[in-house]
Amino acid sequence: MSDRIENLLLVLPGLLLLALAFFLPIFQMLALSVDGPEGPTLAHFSRFLGDSYYLGILWRTVKLSFIITAICALIGFPLAYIMARVGPTLRLWLVIIVILPLMTSVVVRTFGWMVLLSRSGMIPDILRDLGLVGRNFALMQTETAIIIGMVQVLLPFMALSILGVITRIDPRLEEAARTMGCSFLQTIRTVVLPLSLPGIVAGSLLAFTLSASSFVTPNLLGGSRIQVLAASIYNSVTQTLDWPFAAAQAVILFVGILLVLVPYINLTGRARG
Amino acid sequence: MIFVALTTILLLAPLIVVVGASFSASQFVVFPPQGFSLEWYRKVLSSPEYLNAGFVSLNVALLVTVTATLVGGAAAIAIHRKQLPGSEILAALFLSPLVLPTIIYAIGMLMFWSSVFGPVSLPVLWISHTVIAMPYVIRTTLAVLSESDPFLEEAARTMGANRMQRLWLVVVPQCLPGLAAGAFFAFNVSFDEAVLSLFLRKPGLTTLPVQIYGQLEFSPDPSVAAVSAIMIALTVILILVIDRFLGIKKFANA
Amino acid sequence: MANVRLENIRKSFGKVQVLHGVSLDIASGEFVSLLGASGSGKTTLLRTAAGLESVTSGSISIDGQDVTDLPPEKRDIAMMFQSYALLPHLSVSENVRFPLRMRKIGTREEQAESVRGALETVQLGHLADRLPRQLSGGQQQRVALARAIVSNPKVLLLDEPLSNLDARLREDMQVELIEIHKRLGLTTIFVTHDQEEALGLSDRVVLLHKGKVEQEGTPADMYSQPATVFASTFIGSANLVAATISEIDGVLVARLVDGQTLPLPANIAKRGEVQLVLRQEDMTIGGEGQLKAKVRTRVFLGARNRYVLSLAGQEIRVLAGNDEIFSRGQTVSLGIDPARIRVMSD
Repeated sequence: MSDRIENLLLVLPGLLLLALAFFLPIFQMLALSVDGPEGPTLAHFSRFLGDSYYLGILWRTVKLSFIITAICALIGFPLAYIMARVGPTLRLWLVIIVILPLMTSVVVRTFGWMVLLSRSGMIPDILRDLGLVGRNFALMQTETAIIIGMVQVLLPFMALSILGVITRIDPRLEEAARTMGCSFLQTIRTVVLPLSLPGIVAGSLLAFTLSASSFVTPNLLGGSRIQVLAASIYNSVTQTLDWPFAAAQAVILFVGILLVLVPYINLTGRARG
Repeated sequence: MIFVALTTILLLAPLIVVVGASFSASQFVVFPPQGFSLEWYRKVLSSPEYLNAGFVSLNVALLVTVTATLVGGAAAIAIHRKQLPGSEILAALFLSPLVLPTIIYAIGMLMFWSSVFGPVSLPVLWISHTVIAMPYVIRTTLAVLSESDPFLEEAARTMGANRMQRLWLVVVPQCLPGLAAGAFFAFNVSFDEAVLSLFLRKPGLTTLPVQIYGQLEFSPDPSVAAVSAIMIALTVILILVIDRFLGIKKFANA
Repeated sequence: MANVRLENIRKSFGKVQVLHGVSLDIASGEFVSLLGASGSGKTTLLRTAAGLESVTSGSISIDGQDVTDLPPEKRDIAMMFQSYALLPHLSVSENVRFPLRMRKIGTREEQAESVRGALETVQLGHLADRLPRQLSGGQQQRVALARAIVSNPKVLLLDEPLSNLDARLREDMQVELIEIHKRLGLTTIFVTHDQEEALGLSDRVVLLHKGKVEQEGTPADMYSQPATVFASTFIGSANLVAATISEIDGVLVARLVDGQTLPLPANIAKRGEVQLVLRQEDMTIGGEGQLKAKVRTRVFLGARNRYVLSLAGQEIRVLAGNDEIFSRGQTVSLGIDPARIRVMSD
């Protein structure tokens, strides 16, 4: 047996699993999305893209995803920076605090928000007590609720992605900037921010992808009246049993994500030369 | 700093709420809890639906842990050695399930399985969970391997070790921490997985997260909180175990 | 103990040829150093001897047996790596026992005995149960050495084993290597870029340059009779000074670029444009000297000084003691024993 064969044998089970249980189903679904009674058709796509109801869902999904991603980046960047620059014990605690939500089921997390944001939940209560809102204020079944819930879900991804990059920035660069007269904020703006950009971009892509395809949280926090693309897909699969249409929607989702992902890969690929 | 405190609250609030509400004595899910009672835990632990779902989840998760670790670990070793053509592409391929949104994979799998095998059953859960859990094993194993001495295998050869001996006595012990951490991540991923299990379910084949989701769509009583709190406790234990094996820090950057 | 024969070894990595036909005969029990700069091919040559690299053409035999196509695990060798390559999950004694296990040498008791002996030889018997990460660099290196000698291999291969050690430890280890070799008499191939190390440890030095053998010989020969320009500058710290040799009134004289002249002993055969090979340690500053030079820089080395001088427009280096200190800008006299002057054509 040669080295090659040994490595081939090692990698083969995994490759087979991927090929048969991952790529094959996805390609089959791609095929299903253009499936029609008389051969391949784009009818399902045109049905989606031609209906303002569905376009509304698409727009909402995209809009929410952008907002969520932006908020995650805004909170995640300072969080990651702090995590990178504090002492080891505090950092360990922060990492645990960040990872814990990541490793709990999304269902459990969303449930927690449901409790907090419902009509009798703690947050509307506090807001009412502070006199900021009226008596019937409820956060549940609003887009805001979705945003809050999703931000909590995705913030760890963003923070960890940026953290990975910031830890590689030599702290002496910041010290050098300070000795050259930069204030703390200026140092962040001119040194840390540009250097952490790859992490921010990677985290944003991850956050955007996950938001756009998210199902459980938007469904539970937004209710059936506020649908995102994933919910529409779920409906097509389980309620209307229109599988080709569901497949078409999945393809639209996939393409949408690729549209955002591909330029990023090109950019970083070129940067690496 | 206040910022850190606020962010911590944001990140942990839902979990704290769930745990707190599970102890409530009232009929409704409220936070802060009213009164203290373990009634809901008792209810959960004697409820056939929850117990069945828990059993399914546990079953699948254990199976997945074994297969994902074995298959993923072997693949990681082969990829690390970089002797196969296109190792970089291979690595990307194996990590691709992480990049693809689970819902797309879920319906793909449902449609594929239905057209080839018919109704869903435990094997399809097992296989699809393995597919999404395997990248975690590969990531952690590759991380550990990349920090190991690249000359160890060569040294073993000069000491007379043949192929099998090198694999068993040198390479595997090297990546054992990575395999262990990966195994725990795999268990966690499978146990918590909601979307895949949601699409690939049928009566009797419901996992715990799916059971909870079902309850949440209607009006939940605190037993949902209790079962969720149990799941959180499981996660905490897993994190502690992973930390013991390797230190969480290493995988914070993965 | 065995002899090793490398015949016409050629090795290419893809389009890059690293070894251009190297032949080497190593006698049983001989300590041979492969000396060279990075990229000279010395490590590649060692690895082909180990079997870790295949040869593109040529043959290798150990003890008369052709091993060219045999993988390392089937050759009766032991190798010491620059980074020690200790198995981190095994204790020191388990590490040392590993080759005996793999090659199925001896019973458990015999193996334990050999391990003990090897650890005693490197003076680490008391650390047998530690893990590698609990040891210092120097101690890890000794474990690697013990592991290499324990199986009594036909050939011992050492890949720059002392490079990662600090100066003092290095000196100690060099002495130990000499003593161990005397005691065990293993055929040894030692790779290094440090010419002092090669000269000090070996029975024979093989100087490699760009994948070919530049020169080989005993340390004494290599030091006193370098055959090429490259050998002269690599071994012993020599300066090369351009000059023209001619006979004036029956006396052999070398004329430097700035007109200075240096009388040469009559036995030098070369004429015309040459390079004079003047060793740093052979020259003296101050006192009576044949030449004049100007001091550029002085580097204080503790016991000695290294002077960078300007001689006939060229920069040369000379070692001198602390008795008299010369400062920057000073013009000094430069002397050399004529018998020590070597001459090389370009």
